Amino acid sequence: MDPGFFAQYLINGLVQGITYALVAVGFTLFFGVLDVIKFSHGDVLMLGAFTALALFLGLDQLSTPAWLSLTIMLCLGVIAMALLGALLCKFLVLPLKESPPLNTLLITLMFGSVIREGVRLFFPNGSNPKPFPALLPETSINWGNLNLRLDSVILIFTGAMAIVLTHLFIQKTRMGLAIRAVAQDEETARLMGINFNKTVLMTFALGSGLAALSGISTGLYYQEINFSMGLMLGVIGFSAAVVGGLGSIYGAIVGGLLFAFLQTLGAIWFSVPAYKDVFAFTVIIMLMAWRPTGLLADRSAERV
Amino acid sequence: MVSMLTVDNLTAGYDEADVVSNVSLNVIEGKITCLLGANGAGKTTLIRAILGLNNIRAGLVTFSDKDISSWATHDIASEGVTCVPEGRRVFGKMTVLENLQAGAFLERNASVVMQRLKQVYDFFPKLEERSDQLAGTMSGGEQAMLTIGRSLMSNPSLMIFDEPSLGLSPLFVKENFRIIKDINEKGMTVLLVEQNVRQTLEIAHFGYVLSQGKIVASGSVDSLKNNSELRAAYFGSA
Repeated sequence: MDPGFFAQYLINGLVQGITYALVAVGFTLFFGVLDVIKFSHGDVLMLGAFTALALFLGLDQLSTPAWLSLTIMLCLGVIAMALLGALLCKFLVLPLKESPPLNTLLITLMFGSVIREGVRLFFPNGSNPKPFPALLPETSINWGNLNLRLDSVILIFTGAMAIVLTHLFIQKTRMGLAIRAVAQDEETARLMGINFNKTVLMTFALGSGLAALSGISTGLYYQEINFSMGLMLGVIGFSAAVVGGLGSIYGAIVGGLLFAFLQTLGAIWFSVPAYKDVFAFTVIIMLMAWRPTGLLADRSAERV
Repeated sequence: MVSMLTVDNLTAGYDEADVVSNVSLNVIEGKITCLLGANGAGKTTLIRAILGLNNIRAGLVTFSDKDISSWATHDIASEGVTCVPEGRRVFGKMTVLENLQAGAFLERNASVVMQRLKQVYDFFPKLEERSDQLAGTMSGGEQAMLTIGRSLMSNPSLMIFDEPSLGLSPLFVKENFRIIKDINEKGMTVLLVEQNVRQTLEIAHFGYVLSQGKIVASGSVDSLKNNSELRAAYFGSA
């Protein structure tokens, strides 16, 4: 293949892969500390993107410069979803801790529908796709067949930074130690003086904030968002987390990048882009059959 | 004799059943108090209730004159109660050092943590050699050492040992009891929960015997050694 085309696919795939990895890290964190699957994760991502859009519409009225708008949208969007994640955990997930995991799965699935339908009904003209402002610099350089957009580079860099910071937070800080301790042995962690509920809330806030970042990145990249965008991204993020090994952060990153790679490969082979997801999911299903506990996790799957 | 931990008429259990009922005991400051009982006597349930891991149905738990009956586990820990849990529950995917740091979770001052780390390493030189090793890959005896070191890292005023000899080789059991005795001789108050009657009575000062959820005998170790019921039950002679 022409190296220009190859590089183009690689860059596009990386943008996608980082987005998926951000979602997958959330799934893996929630499962790590609480053994739950939170199926409203994709819808929280979507709400993060819509929150940012609403903020933009307001800031635009005040003719705020683009970089300032973007900073405010990112910060407030991420913080708002982190709060929502913590509230969701406190009122819907933690109270169900002693009940069967299926209940948590169902209640978060339903909560996701509430968010989704809420946006569709109450966001002005919410059932139609919404243009998302192109706030990143639009410059690009052409290099043979490669059209390197600066916004792609920024998105890859930001996403990768977010994942690296999350990793450092979990490995190097006191709160991160608490998260790892809770993930490995909840009761012993509590005996060490670690506040279990606080740690779990913190983890949900962290994962949900990453989902908001992922949603806003998606908006900035495609310059369009819609109320159901979280469904597909949620399923992809979940698959990525599972195929990498639920509970492992490295697994989530590998899973996210792998899914994007498979989509790209599918798009190249079949030359009909619609088949790319069919191809990617088929391979993921085969991988799961081959390695049921994930590529990077052993039987006693490492938690966070 | 000052009672550091006082359990007063405590009843606790799971679901509908009471596993321990109307249990009262005192853990005397600076001494080793032991709680003996066979499998299923309710030792672990009692300890879990004291530590806030199980609900208390009725009764009071007082630690240093504070009523901790309804406290959360992490708040009880921050008062200075630590537990070396049954079955050597180390954080297997963390290094030895990280396990010890987790033990000192409540201490925010890094230099104090370093100081305690040095003390623990002096006590268990093996842990220093293995500080970068994943705890899950160590032998059972080393993990037992690590759980004790981890508890010491919190600078506790009361250490509860939940069946420390369970599943250890006889050599390590002996070593473990020696360590507990050492820790106590440095001034630590200890509540030792055990099935191993003979070796426990060797190092303890006071004891309680739990049978089917009730205290059936209590007193100084000497009086327990001469207690005919206990002798019949555990030593096989009247």
